Amino acid sequence: MTTIFDNEPRTEAATRGDAFGRWIGSHPVWALVIAVAVIFALWLVLAPWPAGLEQVFGKKLIFINALFNGITLGGLYFLVATGFTLIFGLMRNVNLAHGSLYLFGGYMGYEATQWTGSWLFSYVIAFLSCAVVGIAMQFFIFRRMEGQDLRQTLVTLGLSIVFSDLMVWVWGGNAIQIDTPDYLDGPVVTPIVVAVRSSGETVFLYYPAVRLVIFAAAVVIGVGMWLALNRTRVGVMIRAGVDDRDMLSVLGYRVQLLFVAVFAFGAGLAGMAGIVGGTFQSLSLGEDSHFLLASLVVVIVGGMGSIPGAAIGALIIGLSEQIGTVYFQNYSTVLSFLIMVIVLALRPQGLLGRR
Amino acid sequence: MSSIAERLAAAGTGNAIELRGVSRLFGALRALTDITLSVRPGERRAVLGSNGAGKTTLLNCVTGDFPPTSGTVRFFGEDVTVLPPHERIRRGLRRTYQISLLFQRLTVRDNVYLACRGVSRSRFSLVRTRASDPIMQSVAELVALVHLEDVADRLVGELAHGQQRQLEIALALAGAPRFILFDEPAAGLSPNERRDLVAILTALPAHIGYIIIEHDMDVALRVVESVTMMHNGRIFKEGAPAEIEADPEVQELYLGGGHG
Amino acid sequence: MALAETTRQAPLGVGEAQRGGEFGRWVSRHAAILLLGVFMVIFPAIANDFFLRQIAGWTMILGMIALSLMFLGGYGGMVSLAQMTVAGVAGYMIAVLGVSSLPKVSFFWPWWVAAPLAIAIAVAFGTLAGALSARTEGIYTIMITLALATSFFYLTLQNWPIFNGFNGFTTIPAPHFFGVHWGDPVPLYYMILFFAALSYAAVLYVSRSPFGLALQGVRDNPRRMEAIGYNVTAHRIAAYAFAAFIAAIGGILLVWQNNQISPFSVDVGVVINLLIIAVVGGLGHPIGPFIGAFIYVILRTFALDALVAVGLDGRRFQTLIGLGFLIIVLFSPDGVVGLWRRWASRVGASDGRSGR
Repeated sequence: MTTIFDNEPRTEAATRGDAFGRWIGSHPVWALVIAVAVIFALWLVLAPWPAGLEQVFGKKLIFINALFNGITLGGLYFLVATGFTLIFGLMRNVNLAHGSLYLFGGYMGYEATQWTGSWLFSYVIAFLSCAVVGIAMQFFIFRRMEGQDLRQTLVTLGLSIVFSDLMVWVWGGNAIQIDTPDYLDGPVVTPIVVAVRSSGETVFLYYPAVRLVIFAAAVVIGVGMWLALNRTRVGVMIRAGVDDRDMLSVLGYRVQLLFVAVFAFGAGLAGMAGIVGGTFQSLSLGEDSHFLLASLVVVIVGGMGSIPGAAIGALIIGLSEQIGTVYFQNYSTVLSFLIMVIVLALRPQGLLGRR
Repeated sequence: MSSIAERLAAAGTGNAIELRGVSRLFGALRALTDITLSVRPGERRAVLGSNGAGKTTLLNCVTGDFPPTSGTVRFFGEDVTVLPPHERIRRGLRRTYQISLLFQRLTVRDNVYLACRGVSRSRFSLVRTRASDPIMQSVAELVALVHLEDVADRLVGELAHGQQRQLEIALALAGAPRFILFDEPAAGLSPNERRDLVAILTALPAHIGYIIIEHDMDVALRVVESVTMMHNGRIFKEGAPAEIEADPEVQELYLGGGHG
Repeated sequence: MALAETTRQAPLGVGEAQRGGEFGRWVSRHAAILLLGVFMVIFPAIANDFFLRQIAGWTMILGMIALSLMFLGGYGGMVSLAQMTVAGVAGYMIAVLGVSSLPKVSFFWPWWVAAPLAIAIAVAFGTLAGALSARTEGIYTIMITLALATSFFYLTLQNWPIFNGFNGFTTIPAPHFFGVHWGDPVPLYYMILFFAALSYAAVLYVSRSPFGLALQGVRDNPRRMEAIGYNVTAHRIAAYAFAAFIAAIGGILLVWQNNQISPFSVDVGVVINLLIIAVVGGLGHPIGPFIGAFIYVILRTFALDALVAVGLDGRRFQTLIGLGFLIIVLFSPDGVVGLWRRWASRVGASDGRSGR
């Protein structure tokens, strides 16, 4: 047992590196297409646009803003969806109350900032309060109906209805915004040129600092999770459980501990994402289903149970929503929908999912 | 790989089942390695080997439950390697499963009915089948063949294990089979039921061939004319039942050391 | 999928074999549903417009749409949350293609062009939803169909050229033909009753047809279905098309009864309430969705006053619905139909004992 767990991650990481090289070797055309696309995208972002391009697509500033908003929104979606996908992967539990946990975390964080005045501290409160709710759900309900995935899903549905109604009761139906802390308020200058004035003066992009910081935090959390799943004993147990359900029986009674821990962690992340959402946008009635939908689409596109899949899915959906809102106002949701349809048609298990 | 001459040869042999270089991988695990096997129409063949020898995987590659990783599968000369299972079944292939795969919440009669309907037309019909329809006659005959008349209107989930095994066989005999794959049909049957099974197998019309995987040598060697031995995903011996029984290597590996 | 109670029915063919003497037994076996039918036919004589429209009309329309969910879930093992959306597509299409208060958006085609086209478009949408989720199994179906349903809600909310955004459509009249104004309470009631009874009977009949039996085979064991000659994916998609047809008719009736449709007719709450209706009623029998719809409509209409009467906040109606749903899922997964069956079999068993 111990030897299996200690050896596996290293060998797998090694083969993964080779796999990348082998993939390029076996798909030279695709590798070229992707490389060209990446270079073109970089040029779009970094270089000032020629006049012809601006005539067709509008100002570069608008595009770059949509791009940045999309990427940072992707970071937020990743925070929400990653807990969802982890819970699904390990327990086959489609937690339809995940959006409610997001909203609950946001409200608790709002209360915490009101009481303590500390934005950072509110994350602790949101994480803990949602984790407690998650633990209660796993311990009192799902433990009793293991393996009955449809029934579990229906229970989460019932809970989400009750939660959302109770939250309207407590916090009302109006939108609430969490204030950005002073030290992150306002824009920062980025090294990206959005235009060159006729005077020859270059104009750089100003972008809200808080969004960049939060995106960086999402990346750090994502990388941290990936490392935790690949380099720690518990992480390897979780991954083994996601890949092979029979593995879990080897763990005996500890499997319950693992389930509770993952549920708490996933719920806690959703709660922290609630504060991010409350700072970026606002918290209100209906945001729970908005973020539940986002998690569903992200996870369907990225692949169930895969953390890197959630990251890619979140990025794609965040970008498609923001770019859609700017360029196809009446059909922006259709864009994410189309992406989902195409992925489902070509790869029903999602981009990085396993059968 | 395969020259035109080779392909012509394969099509011309008129074998019921023809496997060429079939391999199947599960991740890094090689379940089948380079299997080449041909079975004539009407031939009855046993595939023997210890657990994990790749026998059931072999059947799954023939039916398409799992496609082979490489190699070709031909059914009566036609290349069926990439066809979905239901297309192969409609061409006259049938199979039973080692662990009964039945419709637990339907009656015995409905289970057999579905099997008969599956290889006939109007599978999508919204009109109920009348009692006078010829298909109902075949359903009744199949139910009688496996001695399940008394429980014909019970739900399959309520049946005893042995009865479920019998039903498993009835499903494979529906329609006009040309070739059947039996995966351990005798497992879990009582001695009486085993006798019935042998009677059913020997009474099959001569043009229907089959491959049978069976641990019970008394059953297996009595109902076949040839035997293929498998070990670690490869074929290592083929011959008549008497030859195989007498082979010292086989005796050492399987028959002597008990099976399981 | 322990939700769908086993559907126990007479074996194939019986009834057709010995028709003459069977009629009396058939009547007594179906006494409850026949009585209900008679009651529904004479209901307009004893009820006022409020009960016809707000209680009976809503029950039958929501029951029909939930019936399409029951057909997929109970017989096919596919719990689709897209059925309300299919109904919504049909409802929106009748408003876009037919008559509404928006001459700039609607086409003002006559109902006999608009209604069949609306149904066709909705069936196409429902079949597409099926094609997308049919290749995946079990729990994925819920996720994919929920994502489809929510996407459609946001589309209607954001899109002005076709769906008229937030406002939706109002003043959509029910048709007028054979000299009858079908929007009047009593004719509308009978039209809804006709289609509800028809779809109930159709689902019951089809459940014993080759197609319906094969669908139940797919539910119990898709792999074996492949191994006896069925194209499982095609069967699933066909089931979605059949279910979409029922939901689409329900959607058009919904609009004719309501005279309006907006994004909030297809929002996530409505989509989920429809699942609640089907599950609470029971996925084991086609009567379940109608029972669920009746309970839901009664609660929706009277719970507010009842909650206030016992000193609670009337606005907590959704909490009540949610808790009721949780209780059913936790303690009687096969819904009210399952409760009733268990009660009936217990009574039957004790009768048998005392008779001996």
